[in-house]
Amino acid sequence: MEFETAIQALCDAGVDFVVIGGLSATLHGSAAITFDLDIFYARTQSNLRRIVAALEPYHPRPREFPPGLPFVWDEATVRNGSMLTLHTDAGDVDLLAEVAGLDSFDAVKATAIEVQAFGRRICILDLPSLIRAKRAAGRPKDLLALPELESLNDAGGG
Amino acid sequence: MKELRALTPEQFERAAAKLRNPPPGSKIEAAKEFGIDLSLLVEQLRLTPAERGARLQEATRVLEPLRGAARRRS
Repeated sequence: MEFETAIQALCDAGVDFVVIGGLSATLHGSAAITFDLDIFYARTQSNLRRIVAALEPYHPRPREFPPGLPFVWDEATVRNGSMLTLHTDAGDVDLLAEVAGLDSFDAVKATAIEVQAFGRRICILDLPSLIRAKRAAGRPKDLLALPELESLNDAGGG
Repeated sequence: MKELRALTPEQFERAAAKLRNPPPGSKIEAAKEFGIDLSLLVEQLRLTPAERGARLQEATRVLEPLRGAARRRS
């Protein structure tokens, strides 16, 4: 996963997004390794347009999509799915318009934290929201991340 | 908007002390008993957030080809 490439492409296109998932955990101090980039994005028309423009050069396609099957990458594709799991030339990127355990994008953005990383200033989930989202996701890999994240939160790290 | 920065030396020492000697009954102690290597968190907290991101980037570049090979073999 080329985090730097993907983050810079999204930032430079002016995409309104918050980094969630494993990368936000890493930036808070988690030692776990993640292989994809999860972003929570604003579902406005202009933002959809910017997401499409940002990722288009990296040839996004749904993961596990048969190679020969046609796929159109445009605003309608992004608008019609609240969760897109994509493979791109920069790595795996998950686009989420809704996230279990979290409020609306605007509410999440209001409590998000700004951080300098990968040569850009980006917004990431605050630790309590990240813990809430992992708990709500409820998959074994999310639940396994909780002891580490709660330790960081209680230690005052992150 | 709040900003995530490197911990100050004082903040780091406070966090590291809790992680090295978890308070009894705390979530940190529970994590230790669960098997989390808290010394790795201490090392992560020494870094700036940008350095944590850069380390993750290096790790994925090394590990991703191995991960792909393992998937192809299974």
